[in-house]
Amino acid sequence: MKHILLPLFLLLALSACDKQLSDINVNPNATENPQPHFLLTGVLKQGADLYWGLNSSFGSSLLFVQHWAKIQYAEADRFEFSNSSSEITTLWNTAYASLITDLNTILAFPVEIAGNGYKGIARTLRVWVFLLLTDTYGDIPYREAGRSLVPAYDPQRDVYLGLLEELSQAVELLADAQETISGDVVYNGDLHRWLRLSYSLKLRIALRIADREEEIARQTVAALPLDELIASNLDNFAFIYTNSPQHNPQAAAFDTRDDYRISATLVNTLTELNDPRLTVYAQHPDDLPNDYVGARNGLSNGEAAAQGFSRTSRPGLFFLAPNAPAVFYTYSELLFNLAEAAARGFIDRHPDDFYRQAIEASLAQFGISQEATQAYLQQEAVLYDPTDFRRAIGLQKWIAFFGQGLDAFAEWRRLDYPRLSPGPAAVLNGKIPLRFFYPGAEQSLNFRAWKNAVDHQGDDLLSTPLWFDTSH
Amino acid sequence: MRTLTVFLTFLIPLLDVYSQEQDTIINRDYELDEVVVTALGISRQKRSLGYATQELNAKHLTANKETNLVNALAGKLAGVRTTNSQGDMGSARIVIRGETSIAGNNQPLFILDGIPVDNSQLFPTSSTGGNQSRDFRNAIADIHPDDIASISVLKGPNAAALYGSRAAHGVIIITTKKGRPNGLPGLGVTVNAGTTFSTIATLAKFQDVFGQGENGEFSYVDGKGGGINDGVDESWGPRLDKGLLIPQFHSNGIPVPFTAHPDNVKDFFETGITQDYGVAITGSDVRHDFRLAFNRQDQKGTVPNTQIKKNNLSLAADYKLTDRINVGASVNYIVTDAPNLPGGSYGQRAAGVMLQFLWFGRQVDINELKKDYSRNWNHSYYSNPYWRAFYNTTEQNRDRVIADVHLSATLAKGLDFRFRSGTDFYHDIRKYKIKTGTSGVPDGSYTEDAYTVKESNSEAILHYKSSFAEALGFDGLAGFNVRNNSYANNYQKASKLAAPDLFTLSNSKDPLESSNYFKQLRVYSAFASAQFSLHDILFLNLTGRNDWSSTLPASKRAYFYPSTTASLVLSQWLDLTGAAITFLKLRGGYAQVGNDADPYQLATVYNSQTAFLGNPIQTSSKKKKNPLIRPEKTHSSEIGVDIAFLDNRISLDLAAYSSNSIDQILDVQTSSASGYEYQLINAGRIRNKGLELQLALVPLRTSSCKWILDFNFAANRSKVIELDKEGLLTNYVIGTLGTQVVAAVGQRYGSLFGTAYKRNDKGQIIVDDNGRPKVDPNNKILGHYTPDWSGGVSNTFAYKNIELSVLIDAAFGGSLYSGSAQTGYYAGVYAETLPGRAAEFGGLTWTDDNGVTRDDGVIFDGVTEDGQRNTKILSAENYYKASYSIHEAYIFDASFVKLREIKLQYSFPKKVLRPLHVEGLSLSFVARNVAFLYRKTTHIDPESAFNTTNLQGVETLSLPTTRSFGFNLSLNF
Repeated sequence: MKHILLPLFLLLALSACDKQLSDINVNPNATENPQPHFLLTGVLKQGADLYWGLNSSFGSSLLFVQHWAKIQYAEADRFEFSNSSSEITTLWNTAYASLITDLNTILAFPVEIAGNGYKGIARTLRVWVFLLLTDTYGDIPYREAGRSLVPAYDPQRDVYLGLLEELSQAVELLADAQETISGDVVYNGDLHRWLRLSYSLKLRIALRIADREEEIARQTVAALPLDELIASNLDNFAFIYTNSPQHNPQAAAFDTRDDYRISATLVNTLTELNDPRLTVYAQHPDDLPNDYVGARNGLSNGEAAAQGFSRTSRPGLFFLAPNAPAVFYTYSELLFNLAEAAARGFIDRHPDDFYRQAIEASLAQFGISQEATQAYLQQEAVLYDPTDFRRAIGLQKWIAFFGQGLDAFAEWRRLDYPRLSPGPAAVLNGKIPLRFFYPGAEQSLNFRAWKNAVDHQGDDLLSTPLWFDTSH
Repeated sequence: MRTLTVFLTFLIPLLDVYSQEQDTIINRDYELDEVVVTALGISRQKRSLGYATQELNAKHLTANKETNLVNALAGKLAGVRTTNSQGDMGSARIVIRGETSIAGNNQPLFILDGIPVDNSQLFPTSSTGGNQSRDFRNAIADIHPDDIASISVLKGPNAAALYGSRAAHGVIIITTKKGRPNGLPGLGVTVNAGTTFSTIATLAKFQDVFGQGENGEFSYVDGKGGGINDGVDESWGPRLDKGLLIPQFHSNGIPVPFTAHPDNVKDFFETGITQDYGVAITGSDVRHDFRLAFNRQDQKGTVPNTQIKKNNLSLAADYKLTDRINVGASVNYIVTDAPNLPGGSYGQRAAGVMLQFLWFGRQVDINELKKDYSRNWNHSYYSNPYWRAFYNTTEQNRDRVIADVHLSATLAKGLDFRFRSGTDFYHDIRKYKIKTGTSGVPDGSYTEDAYTVKESNSEAILHYKSSFAEALGFDGLAGFNVRNNSYANNYQKASKLAAPDLFTLSNSKDPLESSNYFKQLRVYSAFASAQFSLHDILFLNLTGRNDWSSTLPASKRAYFYPSTTASLVLSQWLDLTGAAITFLKLRGGYAQVGNDADPYQLATVYNSQTAFLGNPIQTSSKKKKNPLIRPEKTHSSEIGVDIAFLDNRISLDLAAYSSNSIDQILDVQTSSASGYEYQLINAGRIRNKGLELQLALVPLRTSSCKWILDFNFAANRSKVIELDKEGLLTNYVIGTLGTQVVAAVGQRYGSLFGTAYKRNDKGQIIVDDNGRPKVDPNNKILGHYTPDWSGGVSNTFAYKNIELSVLIDAAFGGSLYSGSAQTGYYAGVYAETLPGRAAEFGGLTWTDDNGVTRDDGVIFDGVTEDGQRNTKILSAENYYKASYSIHEAYIFDASFVKLREIKLQYSFPKKVLRPLHVEGLSLSFVARNVAFLYRKTTHIDPESAFNTTNLQGVETLSLPTTRSFGFNLSLNF
């Protein structure tokens, strides 16, 4: 008997130990079971921080399009980046490893946890994120993103077409959704407004590819229900910040530092056009209470600082308020897009109507009065130019996009207006960047795929034009 | 070697005037029948071992008064590589026989009197280690050298397999001093006192010809762009000492002479003083044995306002209950209080010391800054360096207890039972203060970062030793161990202070930034070992250990690993012993060590972030885990020979080893496009091969005189064989600081991978239309941080009661990426930026875009795309800035030869002391880091690093290495 009991006892003891050891290894710091509404809030907040934050916006693209300029640490304003600069890598890393992964998690939930509503929103947001990626880097991992250790890059054309397809899925899901959505800090669970956003994104993408794939663009636009697009400034796709430390990243940048000014290029343009938005976009310099003075882009550190901290204009308080919004897609952009679609003959409407409404929408967005708006629109220089829609729409869209660095950057490359030239100390052989480098880590971590992409797209340089950009 | 032997055979008899050993401090250092401490604290005859070991006794350690134990080992042990990160209050890393783990810790396990003790350098969970504002001391620095009796180094799995998982990187066994030496009855008292002075030893050569500014222009108004280039933190300004009068930061707008201050960086640093006091009381009688000791070390650093105070209180007591049963306990209580540690290298403007000395105006008068901390030479980027040193402080308090209880019992003849339960526990809190009004942190901030670390082990061992027959010996043991580790971190930051300069967490304008992390693991182990010996000539050692770890999946939890080693004393077997050969032993063996994972590597999780307007946030942790991981395995083989000639006047220990680590559990950095920034892979393979040599020569040995020469040499080659089974991954990124440091498949561990000059087929650098070098869009391997070989030579001369020893050590073949150099060139502060800056420095005459004729032209040595020699002239400023984003330009050969240590000791003769009832009295003088005999990095110490992680071979803005001179007095009675 004793001989049987001992091994039995040992066996029991051992299995108890086994259970104990497994319990010890349960992670108490984080959850294995995320919830869709918590993920949704996270994507919107992190997406806003990314799109409106230092690295992708005022540390890079907002300088390229000369909305802002740097008055100290002017390296970025001279395009002195390496492929490991955080300005270059943050968009890639946050978009893929946080946003896309979280959205894919929502899409993979069983229907009891997340139904058509969450999935339609997730699909729409996925398109928004991938659009930022391909607009900025060109060929990117798309089909294999999140699915392979070393995902292959897809040609930019395939990415855009894939995104149009995904938007069709999003529209179907959203049109057929009943559930109550929580955690939606942008549209407050209003699925109809998400549906409008999905259609509006289709329009944005159709125009991105219009110079390359005119027929696809035309059909895409023709299929859009024009009454189901963003319909007013109330529909703007925008994230509204709150108090510190969850305050607007532009406001946060001025909390502790004083590195940025509004660009002289923009101030001069707005001044020439008597544009009332200047009073919203810029502050008076400390020492010049009646003037607006922009800082020049692309100067040496000494020249940049020599413009004077107190003799140049900071961006407007509208933007530097803690609860200022980060805007991703506005009514005015939608109207500019319709104007261009009309100008290209994709829809049978007058482009100048949309063009004028777009400017009105933009001025309204910034609280400019009706009278001032109408006076502005009367001016010769503001009138639509039917001979060259790129010039008129390019200029006004550039102004309306103030603060939306990545989209302003994409549309400036595509429309090639306004004509910008780099500052005197810029290091890109007289050019403005036409894309971001791929993060240097891609060369160490995903070399073969990176190499194929570079062979297809051109050298991994800031000055390599992307597929959609036929102007450069 | 042969020639040398013949030469010495000839020479030595001439010198020899041998007579009896006398009452001197001279001992034979190389006893070949000596007994050494091996795994689990078991003493074995050195001749019986099938692997290399090396021992250091107290004499090698105590007089030095190194503040970090790891540094005290530098250069003395073959195959042991130590790196002091920076400055005189930072961390030091130690690696034995190269890096065997691609991703994990590569430092050896430390055992203090049988208790595994922690040697980590803790960082907040959110940080990667590189971006610390302070280089906190690694935890083993808590141990005071005066408490150490000996250190035994087990170099890898063959020696250490019994220690289990953590033995793959070697084990350092520290034995502390116990009761009375040699069991003498009675009471003894030892008193130590020492003082060490240290000064900075490595400062770049600065230029003193051009002051602050840009394009040769400067005038100070407000230090942030209000004047002419007064926001510029570079030295491309006007000529110094040419009689120019220019307003400066201390002149209230009045033009004052623009003159050089060549020592403006050096004068910021002070002479560091370390004071050591210690007293130990020991007592023994038939039943008791105890030692009670107190040591205090008070170190004031070379950076102003830095200090570390360390108090060690230890008590070890053993009591014989009966003739067969012995019980004992030990407690070490260590309190480390650092009111402020020097600002490390990372670019935190509020804290970094060297940051604003490399971005600097060369004319700045540091004494003017010292007069008033609120004024500064530049307000765009910095606060006054004294402001930062005195107001923006980081305090560290660590309370640590290392304690055990143990029991041993003789159960029968030859059969012992041993039990030990020990704990290493500490609480470590860091308090970071940034004063309100600091540039870049206008509100000030306050951070508390607290850690609680605990490891406890309980171990029972049955040990049997016998001779079955006269010829055949057996020594075996079997045991069981339970290990528990836990770690907790609590981080809280008030990022903006509400009321100025009130440093509390509740005085926060915003909600606190906070995070916490807890982890724990448990491992059960059963192990056994057996040693068979034949005529004390042939020895065979077998060991085996099975671990059950909580960190592995249930099905893979248990893993077994064996080792076998053998030793053959040829000299005795073949009866070779004679005049020429005193001893000859061959040894060899094979060992395996298994290793588990860190806790929580099985399930992918989502992190929580601060809720937004009441909406909770969850997001991917960006780390994909793996529920199917298997334990890692390291296979290691070693062969060696011990040989002694000429009455032990020449002794040589040669070892060759190879280790293969497979199935490594890697949190491998992956392309973010894979969906995760890190994924857990279980396939890494790395191979290390190496050769070690220890050679001891006694060229002179007489009754009153002795000269001992110790050489050690080691060469290690690692090769990363694979990262994942499918071969998709080509690089494991160890870390990034400027350049990436990677483990690249097919390459040595620790390759520096970054941007390079674009070159043509002939290797010439290609320049662009403006004559600036082009960057190759493909990153390149630019070097590797692991050296080809390293070694040391120690010379000890003893004459009667005086002993002088000199240690020189060297490492050759490694590379270092220097961010300091990148800054020093860009900012124009290095003396190396003088060539070309004016006609007298070889500058070419040229005309710039504004039509101004200048004499500061330089042509970059390169060719255009079509192969024509570059003729475009750049201004010297643009020339030295042109390579800023090209890592290759700042890769240096990290080879060095250092005069590491000079030690002079005098022991008073016992004859003199005995009447005074004094047993021993000695005085010593020690100088450390005396000089660089060879280095290629003139601006920094080539051994610089950030911390003790595997991210080595990169430095930026690191603190100067210090040189120290110390006096020590030791009295026994």
